Amino acid sequence: MTFPYKGYAGYYLDVDLTKGKVHKKELEKEWARLYLGGSGVAAKILWERTGPDTEPLGPENVLVLGTGPLTGVLFSPSGRMMFASKSPLTGVWGESHVGGFLGAEIKYSGFDFVLFNGRSEKPVYLFLRDGTAELLDASHLWGKETNVTTQMIREDHKDPTIKTGVIGPAGENAVLYGSIIVDFYRAAGRTGLGSVLGSKNVKAVAASGAQGIEVHDMDKYFEANEIEMERINDPLWTESLASLRKYGTTDLVAIINEIGRLPTKNHWTGFFENADDIGPEIIAEKYRIAQEACHGCAVGCKYIIRVNGGKYPTGPIGGPEYETIMAFGSNCLNSDIESVFHLGKRCDLLGLDTISTGKTISFAMELFEKGIIGTKDADGLDLSWGNGETQAALVEKIARREGFGDLLADGVRKAAEKIGGDAWKYAVHVKGLEASGQDPRAHQSIGLTYATNVRGADHLRSISCIEELGYPEIAAARFGEEKAEAILEIMSPEYKGQLIWDMEDLYAIVDSAVICKYGTMWPPMYYFDTFVNVIPPLTGMTEWADMKFVRRVGERISHLRRAYNHRLGITRKDENLPHRLLKEPMPTGPSKGGLPDLDQMLDEYYEYRGCDKETGYPFESKLTDLDLDFVIEDLKPRGMTR
Amino acid sequence: MKRFLAIDLQKCTGCRNCELACSVQHTKSFNPRRSRIQILKDETRNLVVPMVCLQCEDPLCEYACPNGAIRQNEKGILYVDSTLCIGCMNCVTACIYGGIELDPRTRKAIKCDLCGGDPACVKACEYGAISLVEAKTEGLKARREGIDLAYQTIGMKTGEVIE
Repeated sequence: MTFPYKGYAGYYLDVDLTKGKVHKKELEKEWARLYLGGSGVAAKILWERTGPDTEPLGPENVLVLGTGPLTGVLFSPSGRMMFASKSPLTGVWGESHVGGFLGAEIKYSGFDFVLFNGRSEKPVYLFLRDGTAELLDASHLWGKETNVTTQMIREDHKDPTIKTGVIGPAGENAVLYGSIIVDFYRAAGRTGLGSVLGSKNVKAVAASGAQGIEVHDMDKYFEANEIEMERINDPLWTESLASLRKYGTTDLVAIINEIGRLPTKNHWTGFFENADDIGPEIIAEKYRIAQEACHGCAVGCKYIIRVNGGKYPTGPIGGPEYETIMAFGSNCLNSDIESVFHLGKRCDLLGLDTISTGKTISFAMELFEKGIIGTKDADGLDLSWGNGETQAALVEKIARREGFGDLLADGVRKAAEKIGGDAWKYAVHVKGLEASGQDPRAHQSIGLTYATNVRGADHLRSISCIEELGYPEIAAARFGEEKAEAILEIMSPEYKGQLIWDMEDLYAIVDSAVICKYGTMWPPMYYFDTFVNVIPPLTGMTEWADMKFVRRVGERISHLRRAYNHRLGITRKDENLPHRLLKEPMPTGPSKGGLPDLDQMLDEYYEYRGCDKETGYPFESKLTDLDLDFVIEDLKPRGMTR
Repeated sequence: MKRFLAIDLQKCTGCRNCELACSVQHTKSFNPRRSRIQILKDETRNLVVPMVCLQCEDPLCEYACPNGAIRQNEKGILYVDSTLCIGCMNCVTACIYGGIELDPRTRKAIKCDLCGGDPACVKACEYGAISLVEAKTEGLKARREGIDLAYQTIGMKTGEVIE
């Protein structure tokens, strides 16, 4: 093996589904050095292999499964992996990250990346074990729900240690927001990547391995890791850690409602009167039976619930995250937590993204309220706000593309286009991705995050919690005393362009490492220096000991993903916010009257990013500086550089 | 005083950090499958079953070994002498706690040797679920509680501690 760095398995799989062949290849040295792994490497691969002519659900699309050097090694909170592809939901850059144990297991199986190309004639699943890979028949798994699929695969191999990423009926039926479910109840939910797998006739990825991951300098790596773990034990973090361990992300329902940013009634407002009914306390008291953690994680934010009796009893399942509770709960005015549990569970089993599903249902409920659609359009269902039974019926219909569900299975943007009239006003999305559980009318910088996020209206590429939860020392240390005050002001647009530019590059590395956002996002303890500290002893990549080099990697990944979208036609006009979040002042709650100053923030963001303010296109000098000359070669003839 | 590991099932989140730490200690690589402590999971039943050598007073593995490879050191810690192990798996079959396994790489038996007295897994567990205890009443009770799940899966009820 000539791949020189440690911390990686050192191989990737190029799977040709059309021919039914798997090709084991050595990892490219430059992928690691210049893009680290995960999201960064996926950007390089998808840039080369997909483009404007790629039909997202056609055999020509490529789905990348990626891990990073920190996947499967001692570093908390790691234990994550990612998927990327041209998204069927948005038609642009799609990526989705997920925890659990599959990422680590794939590395122990001997691979860092898997590239799915083409389309298999028959349903298959990819099985990885100890440096070998094979495509196995999945006819018996097709149509099965996600939990059963995993159980059947384990049974097929008589091995309970097998970890899986599987799609459900939704992914098979090309619902545009089909998810990939990992280890029963963790989801790579966003941007419809489960449906890309489905379009390729791939039901699952399964792995079990005993290949160790070697480290460049174990003693030095342990020292570096200890320094980072100390940061996590910082008193600033104590409260957050205790809350995450007790409530998981459900605590956000209470915290976020308090600042008036909890999407309610299809994002109409940011305050939900009945938030306590779907909040952390009731869940912890009545339903929670255990705490769980992803691979090697010291946070352990996952929790297990059980519901005895009632309309929706269930045995042990992963409890819903904040986003799921928001999407089906406050956002649909449903304050019956047991119904929300049920909806989250059904989405996991059917392989649906809970955010897009919940947001599409709330969109339909609002159209019904406004008289744009009626009961007849909705197969006789009563679309009144908060009707949990209707929600449950719609989840099933969407997953199977039945009746009204067929329309909703395309997401709010396409559904609004088909319905016509004023429907677009209630479609809360950016670039076609339904908004996640934040609101720029209560938190300026999330507006810029939504607008510039390469995958659409979602917080996870650059959300800043610095002003949301108030970390003055960190604001001052990163941006200087003189800017700290304005940055900490949650409704001030000042310096938010710089803030989000900085966060985006930081998260680009986090998403390539591949680690969890906890510790980096909330609380903001890990920064670029974390990677300067741990990557060299882990991998032996000496250049990573240089802060400037590391920051340039972050910038490079951010720019490459942006360039990917430019080539598909994305410009400043698409880096926008939906009507509701941009033009309708927050009507009620603690953030009443709030509106984002998007243009001011965007101007500043483009300046820091090295982009033209009018179009959003990158400056050639910036691209050259980031070793992205191959991007200039492609974009310049298209008139997409400045 | 004889010592062994006790696991608090209520605190274990199944994160497997102990496996990582153990594998580094014994194999100088991150390789949970070669770890001497193993976390088995059954997600559908919400079962997280940590399995590790209990340093039994009457070790079935020791009796089962045809080559005398399982022995006690001067501190009373049971260990596998890999130069004597022939990989026959008799010990694996004999142990009712899943406390001894075959190393997938070397094909020889591996089990917890308490890292010679300072176990890496205890330090690595951020939830404080693993502790090194002495063979007194408290320690024996803690060890017994840690295998309740294993006992339940074979249909046995929690018994009294025999000192």
